Amino acid sequence: MEHLNIDSLFLFDPLSAFFLCVIFLISLPSAVYSIGYLKGESSGLKTALAWFLLVLFLISMGLVVSVRNVFVFLIAWEIMSLVSYFLVVFDTKHEKSIQAGTIYIVMTHIGTAFLIAAFLIMFKYAHSFNFAAIKSACSLMPPQTRNIVFLFLLIGFGTKAGIVPLHIWLPYAHPQAPSHISSIMSGVMIKTAIYGIIRFVIFILGVNSSWWGVLILMLAVISCLVGVIYALMEHDIKKLLAYHSVENIGIILLGVGLAMLFISMNMPYLAVFSLIAGLYHLINHAIFKGLLFLCAGAVYKATETRDIEKLGGLIKKMPQTAVYFLLGAMAISALPPLNGFVSEWLTLQAFFLGAFSVEGGYRLFLGLCAAMLALTSGLAAACFVKAFGITFLAQPRSRYAQNAKEVSLSMRAGMFFLSFLIVVFGLAAAIIIKLLAKVASAATGINTSSMSFSLNNFILSPQAGKGVYLSTPLLAAVLATLGIAGFAIYKLVNREKAVIYKTWDCGYYKLDSRNEYTATTFSKPFRIAFSFFLLPYRKTQKIRESFYHVKSFAYETHTTMVFKKYIYEPILGLVFRSAKFMRKIQPGSIHLYLSYIFVTVLILIIFMRKF
Amino acid sequence: MQAIILFGVLASTYLMVIAKRTPALIRYFRYQSFFLFLATFAVAIEERQIDLYIIAGLLFVIKVCAIPYFLNRIIKRMKVSEDLGLFVNAQLSLLCVLGFTYLSWVFAERILAPRNEAQAIMLAVAFFVVLAGMFLMVFRMTALAQIIGLLVMENGLFLLASTVSGGMPFFVEIAIFFDVFVSVIIMGFFVYRINKLFTHIDVNKLSRLKG
Repeated sequence: MEHLNIDSLFLFDPLSAFFLCVIFLISLPSAVYSIGYLKGESSGLKTALAWFLLVLFLISMGLVVSVRNVFVFLIAWEIMSLVSYFLVVFDTKHEKSIQAGTIYIVMTHIGTAFLIAAFLIMFKYAHSFNFAAIKSACSLMPPQTRNIVFLFLLIGFGTKAGIVPLHIWLPYAHPQAPSHISSIMSGVMIKTAIYGIIRFVIFILGVNSSWWGVLILMLAVISCLVGVIYALMEHDIKKLLAYHSVENIGIILLGVGLAMLFISMNMPYLAVFSLIAGLYHLINHAIFKGLLFLCAGAVYKATETRDIEKLGGLIKKMPQTAVYFLLGAMAISALPPLNGFVSEWLTLQAFFLGAFSVEGGYRLFLGLCAAMLALTSGLAAACFVKAFGITFLAQPRSRYAQNAKEVSLSMRAGMFFLSFLIVVFGLAAAIIIKLLAKVASAATGINTSSMSFSLNNFILSPQAGKGVYLSTPLLAAVLATLGIAGFAIYKLVNREKAVIYKTWDCGYYKLDSRNEYTATTFSKPFRIAFSFFLLPYRKTQKIRESFYHVKSFAYETHTTMVFKKYIYEPILGLVFRSAKFMRKIQPGSIHLYLSYIFVTVLILIIFMRKF
Repeated sequence: MQAIILFGVLASTYLMVIAKRTPALIRYFRYQSFFLFLATFAVAIEERQIDLYIIAGLLFVIKVCAIPYFLNRIIKRMKVSEDLGLFVNAQLSLLCVLGFTYLSWVFAERILAPRNEAQAIMLAVAFFVVLAGMFLMVFRMTALAQIIGLLVMENGLFLLASTVSGGMPFFVEIAIFFDVFVSVIIMGFFVYRINKLFTHIDVNKLSRLKG
């Protein structure tokens, strides 16, 4: 078995090191957080099991990004999928967990099937499982085969990453896992699929047709928009975050797809730059999505509900969690000077620089993608105004929120660490970009030593000499100064005029938390604006005592799950119908089973006679 | 001599196919096994090998005496109707089986590539016995018919093996004999239990057990 020689098993190039770093950065605080989170949740044995699964999960993810053998990669990949399945169904109290787990494991295995097919095609040409051998063999592959391998890899990794329309499992599975696991799954596990795309498509297969990049860009744009629009409609805080994972995977893939497009167009500088933007957003998303899931877990732990319509006023009960959530929300909404802003700015810059360097239809296409990215950021900001405002501000909407208490120290420590990282990754952008340039250079095989991405350690200048600069520390300083100045002016001018009184209610005198703004009302304009896609419908039910007196009135509004209804349900129906049809040959009669064998033998004999 | 023995095997198989009652089936099975014993015994005399004598002896003891006796005893103890329950009536069964005879002849002649005419006939008969055993298993209702069908198939395989390669190795042969005997006892026991539980041994009705 020379394939499994231990010396040729591991690969620690900059790309692997980068992903190992991401895994480490997110899992450490999540593990610390889980100490407090698991306390009082379940018995000692089950807690031990949770730790065991967590460690196994981390090891398998580490293996996925660091092996250099396709065979071992698949094994690690499968262990990762299975362990995460067990973590999704870990909370067996809820029936939903089992259902979510089933959807997850079916989808992930469809993905793995495509991966296996792609790897077997690669093996056929390389006669080896080693990355290096496959890489050299891939250049000899006929173009048709390369296209097929690319598509299989895209479907396989896309399922794990949650690209629309393969995202269907993500909003079910991520919310059902315990929160620290959601944070790792959403922050790190789906990133291993991005690692797969970068490693296998860009690094091993090599990009040489431009439609690959275009396809990924289109899928990415769709993922961005669909993810964020669904997130806007969602009231389950963890599901909302899961939909944002779909959106952010889209943003990451915008960088990756752009890099692929530029590689095929032979523009090394832009390719490296786009990949830097993608990788930067990858680690940023890992950090702030990890943080947001931890915060959501804290809210869940404190209130025992994930429905934001039942929350409210938590900023007074859980001030620290609120601050951490606000930081995460600001980062994911790409507000300066935090990390999300830097990476989205870089992605937008990559689009602009690209649009100015290409010709014809591509120029329009890249411009449109940039516009969609801008729209996505705006919608994300709106969504987090909703998420933060409804959850933490105003008055408690239910007794769940009234009885909330700040969570334990270990949970706050985990959240603090990630919040700290958000600020660091925002302010130290110039240094991090230099590091990411090395990663991108290793992944694409382009020599970056002659390229300059930065003037000094504080100012980002994506293309030296073009007059595009960004300095997050400077921005932070400006914002801080403005903020302090504004606060000071407010204090000086307005000090005497503050009056505390009840909200004016037009003489109703009975305003309570039921009259507050809700998440549904907040998202109504978006529901109307995107009604062509969301297909909202409402159900009303009146119960009358007489014609003039309505005793009760029920009103529900829903949105149609387009992908579920028009893609997955027809497929599922087909599977079930054909299964029912096939069941007819299984009537349970021994004679019939025997006769199947008998008839087969006879047919074989008659068939052989022909030859 | 060999021609007579083969004819005997063939004839007893046809008789089994047209049998309507279980005791008759068992009796014809005994005839078939007896002809098989004769065939082995003839070869043993010809080649003067102690192994073959032992195998022939075992054949006689197990297949001609022990198994039919055991099956008969089960029938008597179960006190069910002796009817075999034919899915396909005797005449049609015979027609089918004649068709199989032709098929196995064709199969033996063209596919198995026999060395001479005599071996071709032997192959055809052996293969036909296998097919007939399967036919019995499929088209007879009671569980006992299935056991006997299996035994007939085993007889056919024995014949096939001895024609193609001059018999299997001694120890394999012995092991098979004991396997067959033990399986008949186990299956007989099962059939007995099924009968006690459901008051019939109609396999067709077992499909009701399916969820």
